[in-house]
Amino acid sequence: MDIHLAALKDPIIGQDFLTWLWFACESREGRFSAAGLGDFLVFVEQKVSVQGGDGENVETAQVSGPYSELTEARQGLKGGKRVNRAWVRFEQDGAAWTMTLKAEDLSPNSLRTPKIETKTEEGDDPDAPFLEKMFLLERAGALLDAVFAEFLKLRFSRDWTGELAGFGRWLAR
Amino acid sequence: MGILAGSGSFTRYRIVEEVTPAKLAQAPELLRKNSFRDIDAGTDERSFGWVCLDDWLDPQWRTAPPEKGHFLAMSLRLDTRRISPAVFKKHVLLAFRAEKEAAKDQGKKFIGKDRKTELRDQVRLKLMARALPIPAVFDAVWDTLTHAIWLASTNGKVRALFEDLFTQTFELHLEPQGPFFLARRLLEPARIDDLEEIEPSPFTTL
Repeated sequence: MDIHLAALKDPIIGQDFLTWLWFACESREGRFSAAGLGDFLVFVEQKVSVQGGDGENVETAQVSGPYSELTEARQGLKGGKRVNRAWVRFEQDGAAWTMTLKAEDLSPNSLRTPKIETKTEEGDDPDAPFLEKMFLLERAGALLDAVFAEFLKLRFSRDWTGELAGFGRWLAR
Repeated sequence: MGILAGSGSFTRYRIVEEVTPAKLAQAPELLRKNSFRDIDAGTDERSFGWVCLDDWLDPQWRTAPPEKGHFLAMSLRLDTRRISPAVFKKHVLLAFRAEKEAAKDQGKKFIGKDRKTELRDQVRLKLMARALPIPAVFDAVWDTLTHAIWLASTNGKVRALFEDLFTQTFELHLEPQGPFFLARRLLEPARIDDLEEIEPSPFTTL
C-alpha cells in the first residue's frame, strides 16, 4: 500500500519541490540555513527540465546552458509546466557539491563531491579516503534533506499561498 | 560503480525495522554467508552476492573487513552470461541442419517440435559454457549510527536486486528515500495525513 501510494505521490511532491527550489534559490540568492548545518548556498542552474500534461499528452522541455538564464524553461513554467529535473549546486565553507535531481525519486544523480585524496602513504589509515568520501556524501544528503524539510514545512503551512504569490511575481519578472 | 569515484549516482535508503546490536555484530558473518559465488567454470546464466568493497575479486573479505569506522562497506557483484541472439540463431540453424542430415539416413523427413526444443536447449547450454560471465560491481555503504544506506546505482534492476539481497542477508527491509518516504520521515507526525492527500500546487494560477 505504502509503495503504491509513494509511486503515486512521488512525482507530485518532487515536482512541487524542484519548482519551488528554483524560485527559492533565485529569490534569496541561494542563501539557506539549517539547525546543525549552519549557513549554506544552493543554486539551480545550467540544466533544468520542465514537464506538463497528463498521460499520453506529457510534454517535456529540457533547457541547458552553462551561463544561461534558462528562459525557455521559465516560459514552460508560465505555460503551466513544472520542474521535473534540475542541476543543483550546494556550497558550504568553500566546498561545492553538484548533482542532478529528478522529481520522481530525488536520488542524487551524477553527484560530484569536493575532491578527496585517494592515495594514502605508509602509516596513514587505509580507510581515510573512504571515511572522508562518506562524510562528504552524507553532508550532501544532509544539505538536500535540510532544503527539502524547509520546503515541506512551507508546503503544509498557511504560508504556502504567500509563497505561490511570490513565485508568480518572480516568474513575471 | 565505485563509491570513491569523482562522480556517481546514488539511491538512498533507510532500514524500516529497528536494528539490534546483535544484528550488527552478526552482519560481517551474514555478508560472508551471502557472498558472491564464481560461475566462470560452469554454465549458470547469472550469479550475484556480496564482495569486499576494497577488492571486488575477494568474496571472503581477506583484503579488508567490512567495518570501516561506523560504516559497513560492501559491494554487490553481479556476473551475467550473455549469448548474442545472432550467434544463438546461427548455432541453432547448424544444429537443425545436422539433425536433418542424420534423420535422412534414418528415413525421416522432419524434426519434431520437442526435438527442436531439445536442440535449442543443448545449443544454449553449449554456448553458455563458452561465454565468459560479464562482471558488474555496485558499492553500498550502511551507516550503522543512522541506519541510512547509500547504494552507488539508480538503475531499477540493480536496486531491486540489492533490496532483495539485503533483505535475504540481514532479514531487514529497505525503504527508498524518494520524495514520499523522505517527506514522511522529515515531516511532523500531524502532517502525515496531508502528505497522503497532496495534489500538485497551482504555481501559475494565483
